[in-house]
Amino acid sequence: MRGGAARAVFRSPVAQVAPRRTAATQNMPDNAARDMLVKQRLNRPVSPHLGIYRPQITWYGSALNRITASILSGGFYIFGFSYLIAPLFGWDLSSQRLAKSFGSLPKSVKVGTKMLLAFPFTYHSLNGVRHLAWDLGYGFSNKAVMQTGWATVAASVASSLGLAFV
Amino acid sequence: MASVIRPTLLRQAFVAPSRRVLSTSSVASSAFRSSTLSSRRPLQSAFAQDTLPKPARIAAFHGTGSRMILPPLPQRIQGTVNDPASVPDPTPAHGSYHWTFERIVAAGLVPLTIAPFAAGSLNPLMDATFCALILIHSHIGFESVIIDYVPTHRMPGVRKLFMWGLKLATLLVGVGLYEFETNDVGVTEAVRRIWKA
Amino acid sequence: MAALRSSSRLVNSLRGAVSPVWKRGFASVDPISSFSEATSKSAPVVPESKTSTIKEPAPEKDSKIKTFHIYRWNPDEPTQKPRMQSYTLDLNKTGPMMLDALIRIKNEVDPTLTFRRSCREGICGSCAMNIDGVNTLACLCRIPTDTKTASRIYPLPHTYVVKDLVPDLTQFYKQYRSIKPYLQRKTPPADGREYRQSKAERKKLDGLYECILCACCSTSCPSYWWNSEEYLGPAVLLQSYRWIADSRDEKKAERQDALNNSMSLYRCHTILNCSRTCPKGLNPALAIAEIKKSMAFT
Repeated sequence: MRGGAARAVFRSPVAQVAPRRTAATQNMPDNAARDMLVKQRLNRPVSPHLGIYRPQITWYGSALNRITASILSGGFYIFGFSYLIAPLFGWDLSSQRLAKSFGSLPKSVKVGTKMLLAFPFTYHSLNGVRHLAWDLGYGFSNKAVMQTGWATVAASVASSLGLAFV
Repeated sequence: MASVIRPTLLRQAFVAPSRRVLSTSSVASSAFRSSTLSSRRPLQSAFAQDTLPKPARIAAFHGTGSRMILPPLPQRIQGTVNDPASVPDPTPAHGSYHWTFERIVAAGLVPLTIAPFAAGSLNPLMDATFCALILIHSHIGFESVIIDYVPTHRMPGVRKLFMWGLKLATLLVGVGLYEFETNDVGVTEAVRRIWKA
Repeated sequence: MAALRSSSRLVNSLRGAVSPVWKRGFASVDPISSFSEATSKSAPVVPESKTSTIKEPAPEKDSKIKTFHIYRWNPDEPTQKPRMQSYTLDLNKTGPMMLDALIRIKNEVDPTLTFRRSCREGICGSCAMNIDGVNTLACLCRIPTDTKTASRIYPLPHTYVVKDLVPDLTQFYKQYRSIKPYLQRKTPPADGREYRQSKAERKKLDGLYECILCACCSTSCPSYWWNSEEYLGPAVLLQSYRWIADSRDEKKAERQDALNNSMSLYRCHTILNCSRTCPKGLNPALAIAEIKKSMAFT
């Protein structure tokens, strides 16, 4: 009971600064409460995700797996499609011709292009082996995941460098 | 997309204060207020308001930036809190069989990827198999990218378009690669020659 | 401390007297400026550099002041963007865990800060949140003693925010309900008393039954971020496996059938954020792999 009279008697400094509830409540029928909840839900923001989650080898490695896959398969699809429509436009996409034109490029460009193509290939291949091991139920401990993850990155960088200078 | 949603959200935001029944800020009845100190201000605003610059206070709905490709929709929940989420009908062709098939293809690619490095290049039959497996593997991969990023419940039309587009692309690429395999030296040999050029 | 707190409140309430009522809440939003704001290319969260800092009440000489940037959003002011609010605390006067810091902020600095907490010992799962970029329980997370770097606290990623650090987990619980998390069995026990298990059968449930459903793993999973309407997420799948693996349960095939579609289970791409983040040290990714394996040829 918070009567005005009782409050007036008690108006000491302590009573004035003590926390006092300023909330008012009222009863409402179930469906009205539900409607209100539905409306409140529509206002809710989505908490930040990609931008704030700590970069870790787990999801960065996985994203890289998908990106490299898209580069490889995208290139594969583009080449296959171009080869199909080449006669219509009079392009010469035979391996002989491609090898010749690639061979005429300066050395640095050749190595760079090879590097850019070799890394997606080696990373996706090595990470694919990791995925197959996981699908058999091996290598799920956090330690194993981190070690194999970084090992894959290191091995794919090294092997793609090797391939680039072949 | 987002700008289509927002006007309704804003409208709700204006309707909301009058509907609010339980709040920590400013809905004390006038009778109650007159019995308390007239100078009292709710704690919430004492902190929130004074610490915010004016532009932030008149900022609109916490909009997701328009640079986002597919911003999350406002929250909608099907059924009540106590209903279970709906369980789809079993479709092993898109579930377990699909998964197993995908793994078999991937596992089959492992020796075929190593072989050219060991042997120099592949014989035509192996090369054609390699090529076909890569095509299937790529198709499954693109499919799962579409399933992940183009949700059916949100954009059924776009999803269908992408899926059929992918099927057509795979078919055309398949024909193109068939041409290449039959008229040229084969993928592994071609890569070897270009690489060594 | 208490005296300080009440006097600062008195100051605040007196300062507040001059500010008119219409400045609060929705009344300050005029439609035109809010519309232009809504269509501008601003970032979703107002960074801490654009909000003020609320300081430790009474810093001392040899105090170890650490800054905490905390995600704030108030449903009573839905037109305002979420913002990062900075607080400074003296670590000498604060308990060792993140939850201690949050409780101290709420008690002594800013009572409007809202978060869930209950057991303070990592068994209820209420205080799950994103601390310094990873999902964990605030009560099990030590405050990094390095005072040079600030700590950042967000609600669980890609969840709808009810208020400040409180996410709405309705969908998560509905999904948990959909996997029928209880023993399903028709056959009566052989001895008419209990459903017995061998030690080996019981051992299969270790690492599964300990899950407290805090949702740290599910909300760390990018697949779950993009498809939480249909993909069940690591926590719920771990629970599903807990019943699939239970020797006493007789609905294994039905449970597997319920997962046998492209969305419920197979959106898992073995990203492994779930196992990395689990504050209880469980391995949801392994549980999901076991489900996939057990269903490989069915």
